[in-house]
Amino acid sequence: MLPHLLSRRTLLQQSALGFGFLALADLIAGEAHAADTDPLAPKKPHFPPRAKRAIFLFMKGGPSHVDIFDPKPLLDRDHGKPYPGERPRVTFAATGTLLKSPWKFERHGQSGSPVSELFPHVAKCVDDICFIHSLYGTNPAHGGALLKLHTGSDNFVRPSLGAWLAYGLGTENKSLPAFVTICPTLAHGGVNNWGSAFLPAACQGVPIGNAAVPVDQAKVRYIRNATTTPDLQRRQLELLAEANREHLARTGPDKSLEGRIDSFELAFRMQSAMPEAEDISRESAETQKLYGLDDPKTAGFGRQCLLARRLSERGVRYVQATHSDAAVQWDQHSNLKRDHEKNAREVDKPIAGLLTDLKRRGLLKDTLVIWGGEFGRTPTVQGKADGRDHNPEGFTVWLAGGGVKPGFRYGATDDYGWFAAEDKVHLHDFHATLLYLMGLDHERLTYRYEGRDFRLTDVAGRVVNEIMA
Amino acid sequence: MPFAALRLPVLTALAVGLFGRATAADKPPTPEQVRFFESRVRPVLVEHCTKCHGEKTQRSELRLDSAAAMKEGGASGEPLLGEPAKSMLLRAVRHDADVAPMPPKGKKLSDAQIADLAQWVKMGAPYPAVVLKTHDRDHWAFRPVTRPAVPIVTDPAFPVRNPIDAFVLAKLRAAGLTPAAPADKRTLIRRVTFDLTGLPPTPTEIDAFLRDDSPGAYATVVERLLASPAYGERWGRHWLDVARYADSNGLDENIAHGNAWRYRDYVVQSFNADVPYNQFVREQVAGDLMPAADATTRHRQLIATGFLSLGPKVLAEPDKRKMELDIVDEQLDTTCRAILGLTMGCARCHDHKFDPITAADYYALAGIFLSTKTMDSFKTIASWHENEVATPAELKCRADHEAEVARFKWQLMALHWRKATSAVKSARRCAAEAIAQLEKNAPEVSSAMGLTEGKVVDSPILRRGSYLSPGPVVARRFPTVLAGEGQPPLPKDHSGRLQLARWLTDPANPLTARVMVNRVWRWHFGRGIVGSVDNFGLLGEKPTHPELLDWLATEFVANGWSVKHLHRLIVLSSTYRMSSAHDSKAAEADPANRLLWRANVRRVEAEVIRDSLLAVAGELDRTMGGPALHHVKNRAFLFDHTSKDLTTYDSKRRSLYLPVVRNHLYDVFQLFDAPDAAVIHGDRATTTVATQALFWMNSPLVMSTADDLAETLLGRTDLDDAGRVRTLYETAYGRPPTAKETARALASVAEFEAALAATVPESGKRRQRAWSLVCHVVLAANEFVYVR
Repeated sequence: MLPHLLSRRTLLQQSALGFGFLALADLIAGEAHAADTDPLAPKKPHFPPRAKRAIFLFMKGGPSHVDIFDPKPLLDRDHGKPYPGERPRVTFAATGTLLKSPWKFERHGQSGSPVSELFPHVAKCVDDICFIHSLYGTNPAHGGALLKLHTGSDNFVRPSLGAWLAYGLGTENKSLPAFVTICPTLAHGGVNNWGSAFLPAACQGVPIGNAAVPVDQAKVRYIRNATTTPDLQRRQLELLAEANREHLARTGPDKSLEGRIDSFELAFRMQSAMPEAEDISRESAETQKLYGLDDPKTAGFGRQCLLARRLSERGVRYVQATHSDAAVQWDQHSNLKRDHEKNAREVDKPIAGLLTDLKRRGLLKDTLVIWGGEFGRTPTVQGKADGRDHNPEGFTVWLAGGGVKPGFRYGATDDYGWFAAEDKVHLHDFHATLLYLMGLDHERLTYRYEGRDFRLTDVAGRVVNEIMA
Repeated sequence: MPFAALRLPVLTALAVGLFGRATAADKPPTPEQVRFFESRVRPVLVEHCTKCHGEKTQRSELRLDSAAAMKEGGASGEPLLGEPAKSMLLRAVRHDADVAPMPPKGKKLSDAQIADLAQWVKMGAPYPAVVLKTHDRDHWAFRPVTRPAVPIVTDPAFPVRNPIDAFVLAKLRAAGLTPAAPADKRTLIRRVTFDLTGLPPTPTEIDAFLRDDSPGAYATVVERLLASPAYGERWGRHWLDVARYADSNGLDENIAHGNAWRYRDYVVQSFNADVPYNQFVREQVAGDLMPAADATTRHRQLIATGFLSLGPKVLAEPDKRKMELDIVDEQLDTTCRAILGLTMGCARCHDHKFDPITAADYYALAGIFLSTKTMDSFKTIASWHENEVATPAELKCRADHEAEVARFKWQLMALHWRKATSAVKSARRCAAEAIAQLEKNAPEVSSAMGLTEGKVVDSPILRRGSYLSPGPVVARRFPTVLAGEGQPPLPKDHSGRLQLARWLTDPANPLTARVMVNRVWRWHFGRGIVGSVDNFGLLGEKPTHPELLDWLATEFVANGWSVKHLHRLIVLSSTYRMSSAHDSKAAEADPANRLLWRANVRRVEAEVIRDSLLAVAGELDRTMGGPALHHVKNRAFLFDHTSKDLTTYDSKRRSLYLPVVRNHLYDVFQLFDAPDAAVIHGDRATTTVATQALFWMNSPLVMSTADDLAETLLGRTDLDDAGRVRTLYETAYGRPPTAKETARALASVAEFEAALAATVPESGKRRQRAWSLVCHVVLAANEFVYVR
């Protein structure tokens, strides 16, 4: 009947044997149609990449840099006094006097990077981490800051970072999307934060659940058929392929009709590849424990981190894991002490677990791990004594693996931690740097739309060469 | 109304490459140099230098806004560029002791900026030419629309039914190509029914057409479709793409546009009533300022201005002035792209790099919108203005309510005059309570998002788009390239929106009619005569059939801007009626079918996919109009931090009545390329991705449609199984199955029944399930979603 489909089917039946067979199926599928029509066909980077894949651990809201990675002794000294400098022209809310950190800092590892007692596990990994202490954005509101961080723009709909990477590099594994976002927040830009805007739709992120769905229940939409068994469905797909080929013969050669025929075979493969990737029960008890899956407090984000590793090692170019409950999780305008402790407790062990696991599997050297939030928090107090406001003027993010200097710290905020002061890194610079690490020149990664060449970095951006290993 | 008379092109393209060093002389800058200049040098010059040394002012007779001017230098005669060590420019920005420090007054550039300038001078100061200047009015789209002569061509196999055919045939001839044969009647009715109504033709409609042998049979179908309410739903939906229509704000604070549906219904009604397009545009830009004979017209016009209020807004923007300017920018950009096909947004920060639109043009137009009131409050969460559109019943209800309150107040007052006995005190308490209760439950009256006049202002030019660096104030006016110099001033006591609306729809405006006929063409053929439907500027695509475009534009205006007249011209033409038959010779010469040698094979849009599924299942609810959101009130959060979107899409009504939730569009629509409605989309992409296939394989919508179809087919006790297959094909594809297809379907039913024997013991259920599996395949096939 359809020998080429059947032979592939035989192969696919063995896909339970594992990932290798899927990759083989891809190889065969790849022969069927030229790559020129596939926006996700693997593309050569502009220069040798330092990282082949990236994982972004996104803390929804603003983790307080002055309480976690950027200690400010002057806050202890001047606690309760007014901030002596000039405040930003636009702030999100009014804040009062300087507020010292409720947590103690210590220096860790060979590098001596300071980490507060909020992140004891990550503290053990500092020698693998490259901190950027001088990131700054422009927007002090969640929506604008989140969009700016993910798309480079806070007032226009633009493609997201992951979509640019998918567009620029394509994907190595055709049975999985190039860009997956785990439990993203729908607020503050929602889909725009993983959307493709004017880039080809295949570049957009495929969400697994959203922030309101517990991660163990999060699934890719329509990945399973609730009633039809795989055998019957396979038979349906054969009938479908036959009907489609007859239709194509009547219509004459047509790329989009041919593309749609292929898309069903791809979907069928994704249907088995995705659950396989999501099946963390295949991981050893020791690995699961490493990510904190044995503790209800850390199990949620631990599962996200483990899922991120599994997707990443299967060739998903860009995975984002979002730490957010059904509120803005890292947003302590009040209850800083209680809630930052709760938040840190939930992510600290899973993050350290991911770094450790990637390292021991030899994946960290070409996997870029990114940690950060939308902004930091003010050194001044909001409310009576236990809150801080949004602060986009200077905050900390960190990178690990993928060709960055391990155990390194770059840039600094001012003495109180309000403004980025030394070696400032704008969000556009940060994006330019991330693209560079993935082998892409942010000025050459362009897409022509409505008569103009668009970039992730608009008309700005400087690669921070100082942090390259 | 002023429209610039056509002038001969004045070529002001600056000579490329007049660089300081002899070695670099006359060599055009390399792409790397251009990139370096545009990203590192031009921004510095624009921000810090050209205000005093530019087009308007030339302190010390020096200009820094072109290569030639730079080479010329200033009054001192010292070389501005040249050797880095001696360069006057570098010495000035370094604040060397013996020169006047620049920028002056202690505003020194950063070290990085100075280093960039030094590197640039060292490269030989490559200064990319600014190719286009404001005199470039010769661009085709800015020229007046002409009425071109219709080519005289004939073809026995391709009757020239109207000038469209003549223009198309002449181009095909010139390229040595021949048009495809006419499509058969089944293909044609399926195509035109999808095009005009967004729904598949029913077997009954197809039969009626097949049986009608009269020469006017096809025209009868077209008139039936144009008169059908489904027409306005289909074409209204197209316009809603242009109007970036949505039922929520999206962007940062995703709150409900609870009354946006009134605008949606206005659009649908306007298309159905064939409201002249010039009136349609005027109402949307300035309906609140137009005279109205009665309350219905007045409301209609107020609702129309929702067009300018529907954009996404950063409602929690802490910088209130910025928020206001961003909203104006969105309105200005949407108006210009939607109606004129011009991208004005670029000119917010600098003169448009490609189109002859200056920052002064931008702020002159922005003044009109700044003088308009869109927002009632900018306080977080900012609140948009709504105009009252109360029905007589609501007005009566409100009057009754007010009378009731007045009555109690009167009673209360009367009670105060009486001696305060305990009975009187108790009566007072009762009256006061009644008043409080009544006031709390004041009846709501209908309102609609829209505009009203604000405080009239002229805007300064804002350098780099920032209000912190205002430049000279420009009087409100229209873009010079279109409206010419010396425009009559806009009134001091009105925003000028009414004048803008009239100017946009002036028959002499070269863009408005062209842009709209091109949109209509795009939605019929899948591609515009100008491919870039929202951009007619210099970087837009050139028209494939410029004479045809102009002929259609003049025909459109001459026939009272009637959109239905355009439809008749187009769908009755031989061009539209061609088959999609493939021709390898033509495909080689014109692979993208730009010259229209055949009909395009097109996938239907997201809304049509869903509507078709419901239609073939016999489940489509044809109720028209009304509110979209039932679970949230106007201005309430669709979802905030919670990510819990409670919007449901289980309605059986046509897709355009489903909520359009920005940031979380209905996933079926998102999957099939419906835009997020944040910006205008005159052109939708058609993508094919595996996640779409997952929808066809596994989604409840497709599965339930297959079940419904199977149930309907098995309920047809008047048919045998072959008759059921025939009905299935006629319902889904508008054609009977071939013998092979019938045999295959019947064999599949049997095969599935056998396969289900173990799991579905009850034979009736098993049979229905087997039929459902076959129906599912028919729905998932290409033929269901592609129109030939």
